[in-house]
Amino acid sequence: MSKITRLGSVLRHLFFAVFALMMAFPFYWMVTSALKTNDEIWRSPPTLWPETPLWGNFVEAWNQAPFFRYMGNSIFVAISIVIFQVINSGMMAYALTHMKFRLKGLFAGVILFGYMVPATAVYLPGYLILSELHLLNSYAGLILSNCVSVFSIFLIRQAFLQVPHELVEAGEVDGSSHMRILWTIIVPITRSSFAVLALITFIDQYNNYFWPMLITKDPNLQLVSAGLRSFFVEGGAYGLKWPLIMAASAFTIAPLLLVFVLTQKTIMQSVNMTAGSTKG
Amino acid sequence: MTRSKFISGLKPVLFTLPAMIPFVVFWLAPLLYVFYLSFTEWDFMSPEKTFVGLNNYNELFHNPAFYKALKVTVLFCAGSVLPVILIGLGLALLMSSKLKGSTFYQALLFSPWVTPTVAISIVWSWIYEPDMGLANTVLNFLGLEKIGWLHDPKWALVGVLIVTIWKSVGWAMIFYLVALRNVPADLLEAADLDGANPVQKFIRITMPLISPTTLFLFVVQMIQALQAYDQINVLTQGGPSGSTRTLLYMYYQSAFESFQIGEASTVAMVLVFMCMLLSLFSLGVSNRSTHY
Repeated sequence: MSKITRLGSVLRHLFFAVFALMMAFPFYWMVTSALKTNDEIWRSPPTLWPETPLWGNFVEAWNQAPFFRYMGNSIFVAISIVIFQVINSGMMAYALTHMKFRLKGLFAGVILFGYMVPATAVYLPGYLILSELHLLNSYAGLILSNCVSVFSIFLIRQAFLQVPHELVEAGEVDGSSHMRILWTIIVPITRSSFAVLALITFIDQYNNYFWPMLITKDPNLQLVSAGLRSFFVEGGAYGLKWPLIMAASAFTIAPLLLVFVLTQKTIMQSVNMTAGSTKG
Repeated sequence: MTRSKFISGLKPVLFTLPAMIPFVVFWLAPLLYVFYLSFTEWDFMSPEKTFVGLNNYNELFHNPAFYKALKVTVLFCAGSVLPVILIGLGLALLMSSKLKGSTFYQALLFSPWVTPTVAISIVWSWIYEPDMGLANTVLNFLGLEKIGWLHDPKWALVGVLIVTIWKSVGWAMIFYLVALRNVPADLLEAADLDGANPVQKFIRITMPLISPTTLFLFVVQMIQALQAYDQINVLTQGGPSGSTRTLLYMYYQSAFESFQIGEASTVAMVLVFMCMLLSLFSLGVSNRSTHY
């Protein structure tokens, strides 16, 4: 019996080693392609590792388009949105779970309804509204139009439901304001949900492409995905400079892989919460 | 009502405003607006929007391009959602009993999910490069014929689907791992005592118990598939000859490339309708299944 299980686990290791290698191979291919010369990249059969790795390709790609600006934009916009969502999801969830008011059912229903609306379907009217508000081509437009997330509200609401209402009542007896109860009592208890909110939102917004591309035509305001895509189409002239394009893709992806490695546990934990936040 | 009572009654509403105001401005109002626009004809430029009643719907439902996009959408949804769920479940089952180093594998398989779709799609378009790309080199090595991954209408959708599946299987696997861990071990042991084989145990015990996860993944993946844009935009732009043009891509092109706002809004309403059906379906199913 134990021999069979041991054989089984060897086979499983073998399977996962091969499968994981295949899954990770595009990343490997991206990096090695980035290090090749334009000649070597077209050679047949392809070389698995470049003859002389050209680390300078990364510098060259970095300098050919304002990638520093693109990444700065992405990080700034993503962090601002995270801050907004932490505040408004926290307050909304607190009102929905620990306060009594007449319109509660209506508000909760409206938010649930928002859960069903596909965001992309309202991009056209959203664009028109943003243009009426003179928020096209601005950081304010990029940030405000993404500053509320139904998913985040649900996530935090789910966490707040687990907090006993007596804690809120005790705070009220002590004469604390609701604001104070929320931020000094409830939020510290549920900080792991806020960590998940912050990470998921940051990743989503850093990667965001479709909507930011629609509402910002000014290259100075482009987020990193849109910037990379225009480098691919214009600067790269669709494949004439594959090594540079791969280099640019690599440093676009790198910060996210780094964030992932550092926060792996929290991100994986998010699975538990996401599955939970849609129930009940 | 005294003044202070009025203020304390107002407080909860104040707490909801930071979320409700942007929600109304950027979600609810656009939704009503696009509903209204679907009854008009407009080209972005002219000052007047002409009210045309149900004309846009009538035209759309008689437009062969709509049915082609609908077909591509159905193929795209089925072709991405089913493999993601099945492969994700398979991987999770293989990994669920003790395996050293499984967290390392988990991290590797999950990592595509955090990366920007645009960047990885660009990497894949290099892999799909017709002459010297990795995909065709491998096919060549195996003695198979080269494929026009993104240029052949027969294969382009497959090419886009592979990228989509690659990005999500690890994510689905993690969900299933959590669900499998929550299946009570004593139930499976009791089945062992009754002489059940692994297949019976899976069908009778495990599958029903992880069905909420399956439902969740199905709905989330479907809604994502209906809205897939980034990889299509980078890899094929809906081509060649419309073979990867989903409803969403049709909506984007008629809104922002040919400026047929009426038609675009009508397609948007079809998408909204489909997503709502999905959400209501999932609500209905999960309400029924929670009463054990």
